[in-house]
Order: sequence, then C-alpha cells, then structure tokens
Amino acid sequence: MLDLRNLTKRFGKGDSAFTALHEVSFSIKEGEFFTLLGPSGCGKTTLLRMIAGFEPPSGGALVLDGRDIAQMPPNRRPVNTVFQNYALFPHMTVAENVGFALSAMGRPKAEISETTVRMLDLVQLSHLAHRKSGELSGGQQQRVALARALAPKPRILLLDEPLSALDMKLRKEMQVELKRLQQETRLTFVFVTHDQEEALTMSDRIAVMNGGRIQQIATPRELYDQPANRFVAGFIGETNFLPAHCTKGLLTLPQAAASLPVSYADGPVTLMVRPEHILLGETQASALTLTARVERLVYFGTDTHVHLQAEGELTLIARVQNGMRSGAPYREGETVTISLPSEALRLLPQEVA
Amino acid sequence: MSDRGFDIRRLPGAAPLAITCFVILYIPMAILVFNSFNAGKSIGDWEGLSLQWYAAALQNEAFLNAARTSLILATISALIATVIATLAALSTTRSKTFRGEASINMLLNQPLMVPEIVLAIALLIIVAQIKQATGYAGLGYLILAHSAFCIPFAYMPIRARLEGMDLTLETAAADLYASRFYTFRKVTLPLLAPAILAGFMLAFVISLDDVVISEFLKSPGQDTLPTYLLGELRRNLTSEIYAISSLLLLISVLIVAGSWLLTRRKT
Repeated sequence: MLDLRNLTKRFGKGDSAFTALHEVSFSIKEGEFFTLLGPSGCGKTTLLRMIAGFEPPSGGALVLDGRDIAQMPPNRRPVNTVFQNYALFPHMTVAENVGFALSAMGRPKAEISETTVRMLDLVQLSHLAHRKSGELSGGQQQRVALARALAPKPRILLLDEPLSALDMKLRKEMQVELKRLQQETRLTFVFVTHDQEEALTMSDRIAVMNGGRIQQIATPRELYDQPANRFVAGFIGETNFLPAHCTKGLLTLPQAAASLPVSYADGPVTLMVRPEHILLGETQASALTLTARVERLVYFGTDTHVHLQAEGELTLIARVQNGMRSGAPYREGETVTISLPSEALRLLPQEVA
Repeated sequence: MSDRGFDIRRLPGAAPLAITCFVILYIPMAILVFNSFNAGKSIGDWEGLSLQWYAAALQNEAFLNAARTSLILATISALIATVIATLAALSTTRSKTFRGEASINMLLNQPLMVPEIVLAIALLIIVAQIKQATGYAGLGYLILAHSAFCIPFAYMPIRARLEGMDLTLETAAADLYASRFYTFRKVTLPLLAPAILAGFMLAFVISLDDVVISEFLKSPGQDTLPTYLLGELRRNLTSEIYAISSLLLLISVLIVAGSWLLTRRKT
C-alpha cells in the first residue's frame, strides 16, 4: 500500500552536505506492524518524518495507494503521527485533543463527540476526558496521543519512539497495548525505535537501518536467525563473531584443529554463532568441536553467561539455561568441550569491522 | 563540586549596597504616597490623615481631562503596538528566515537604546511641519509616536514566549489535518495569549508614564497625565500633586504586577 521508491534526503549544500537517506526503496503492506530499527542517526526518524510530510524528500517517490504523495503537505496526507514527546495541546482537555483532527476537518459535532468517546474507550481513558492534558501521567499522555492520532482513521499510523520516555515496566505494558490496538484496528503501523527487543516483540516485519541505508527487511525470526550482514547480526541480539577461513568447501578456524564441510566461496569469512546455540560438554556429529577454558561465569537469573577461551585465542560467550537444580554447572578455570552445531553456524562475508 | 562556589551574596558590602539601592528607590515613593494623605497643604506641615486631596483631584477638571487623554492614548497605542509586535514576533520566529531578519530584529528593539530626547526632537521637527501643513492638532501624533516606541516593549514577551513554545505542537496540528490558519487560531494563538496580554500591559504602562515625547509633541491645551503633572509642578508643589502621582503609581504597579503574573504562569 505504501511504496518508497529511491527516497533520498540530503541536508545542507556543497561541502557541508550530508546524506541522511541513500535511495531507500521498500514496500509496506496493508495492516502490517512495520518497524524501522537502527541506532541513532541511522535515518529512521528522517524516513518517518518524510512519510508524515514534515520533511520533503530530496529525491524519489512516496506512493500511497497508487498516488505519489511526496510533495503533499502533512495536513492533506491520510497519515497520523504519535510523537516522541506526545505533543499534546496543553491548553485543551483530553477530549478536545482527541477530537482535534475531526474538528480541523470540519466534521459535524455529533460525529466528533461520538468518535472521541469511542477512541477514549479504546485506550481506556474515558474517565479522564475532561482533564487538561498537562495533568496526566506519562503513560496516560501516551494513550491520549494514540487516541488522538487514531481518531481520524488514518491509512497509516506513524509512531516515533513513543515508548522511550516511559519507565521499563510501563514500556512493557504499552508494548502489549500497542500490539492489541494494532490488531483491533487492523491499521498499518510504522514504528520507529532503537530498541531491538521492542522491535522483535511487536513487529510483523522489521527494516534494520544504518548509515542512511536499509540493511535488511525481514520478520523478527528471520532477522535473528538469518541476519544479512554483520551489522544486523550484531545489532539484533547477542552474537559471537569468529574469524574463519573457507578452503575448498572446508571451514577452518585459525590455529584450531576442527574443521567442517560447508558450501561457501573460498576465502576469509566471518563465522557467527548465537550464545544459546553453543553446546557445552556435548559433542555432535556435524559440528565444530573445540576445547575451551571457562574464564568467567555471569549469572543472569534465567540463564548464565559462560565466557570461554577456546583454542587458537578465540573468545566466545555461551549461554546456559539455569535449570531447577541449584549450583553452577561449571566452575571458572575448568576445561570443557564445546560444540558449534553446523545448523547454528552462519557465514558472513568478512567486513572491516 | 567540592568547593562552595562563588556566591555574590557573601561578598562584603553586597547586602548593605543592595539595601541602600532599595531605600533610595522606595523610601521617596513611600514618602510621596504618605504625604498624599496629609490634611495640610504642603510637605512641611503635617495636619493629620485625610483623603481631601484625592477628593480635590477627582473634582479637578484639568486633571480629569489629562487622565482621560492618557488612558485613551495608552489604550490605543498599546493596542496598535501589540498587534504589530505580535506580527513581527511571528515573522521572526515562525516563518522561514529571510534576508535582513537580524537587522529587522535590531531595528525593532532600537527604541530601547535611542535616547528618548533625540527621538522626541526628531519627531517634533516632522510633526511641527505636518501640523502647519494640515492644521490637524489632535491626538493622532501622540498615538502614532507612542505606538512606535511601545512596539519593542510588547515585542519582548511575545517573542520570548514564541521561542519557548514547543514547535512539535504546531507540527502535530498540521499532522492532524489543520490548515496553517486553523493551527494559528486553535494552537499558537491560545498558547501565546498570556504573552500578548503581558506585552499589551507593558506597552500600556510605558505609554502611560511617558513624559518626554508627549511633552514635545502635544498640541497647545493638550495634556497627558505626566505632562499635566509636570506643568503643575512648575507652579507649586501641592498635596494634590502627591495624590495624583500616587494614583498614577497605583495604576502602573497594578498593571506591571498583572503582566508579571501572566508571564510567570507556565502552561
């Protein structure tokens, strides 16, 4: 429904010019919870502001339902935003805030009040309709901002890091709440965040961005299991990167005896393995098997991180689920056999880190 | 920080100096107000409390005329100045930066720095010529002059408020289908209203208290409150003058206090 075609944004002119977005192209599907994820300065907010109409693109097209809206002013686009600081109108009541868009469109009073009641009901704030927005808590302001943006039934709801100002507990609640709202309204959500956990738990698809470019667009599971490059692998979840080499279909680690047949082009590669996939004290037929020394154990409650020093100067972190039995399964200084199962290994082209 | 820092209040002599300044400022005013309640005819002889000078002032036709002129002049000039100041503040903070914006900003605030007597003389030269040419000798000259020099006073609080206002509010309004005008009417203006009122009040007080420009530009027989007081002073210093001055002081204090209350309260 929304197609981004070679969208480019440059700030400044001449030598001081800075390209915030490099010819970004992708499509967002109807009813999707789509997340733009990346570190600060990656261009995700610029992209969102461009969809909203606050930032004119320097090039490319923005096609919504078959119509190029790239040059359309924000008040004409059927797209609404939930702002990072909520931007509620402080001189208006909660109900007036929620009804603002419909009033601005000149809709009849009955429709405005009916919609306002319904929206406040949806975010469970009906009891606060006549409060001034400044008298609300952060979580309540967040809900008002949502209701206000949903009231005019936009084609797309844009959310600019809306949970970043909330504390941890409230943030988790709002994540569930947002997902529920999205499923109930069947609206297309475009969500911007730098928090990978937030992205993984809520999104249908995630676009990982870095340096003004899309790194990968995929479902949360695909991103985690099959990252396209080292940036994505490192940004989503925790990962071990090992320098490795492919020679005639055989994967070897430097100064380690282990090898594994793989189908990959010859040359240096980066081997990636998630901490929870490393097997300790077990061997498996199709795996890289190494001996390692337990350097440090870090207890995390549900699991324990085992810092390992393997043969050939390799450092790895493995994650071991803590069972019901008390006591650590390993001791610091102990030598263990570790296996990196072939199905858990992922080879990435070697990049300059 | 480990050290206690530099505290200006702990400097030797700071407190006595500050107190002296306050005394010099406020004791004479207190004496003036006090004497306005004197039953006697002049400052020397105290003959008990009385409101007679206030009663006398309120029956003094010349004073009432001057007061009426002052209030009309201050109201109209402050209105004009506030409208212009609001537009100027909007264009220097909300629209795209334009060529010469910095110079315009400076020119707007210049009347605060120019010696008033110079402005008065400059205006007098022109006004005298126009008076001669047209024969018009009404309040128009004073209204125009007061409007002009009151603009920076109205401009300051309005611009400060606009600069402090969260720009995302206006962005949010645009996002929610509001046209530029609707946004201005429903978001910017209501949030700006306290500052506009404060600016109006400041301009009003400045116009009300002005002596120099009014004295130079007024036509024969025309008097504002301050020029009337000045004229009376030249003849004799009576307790009635104290009463009138006290009234003028009261109005100014009330308005300045009101303006302070309006800008202090943050929404």
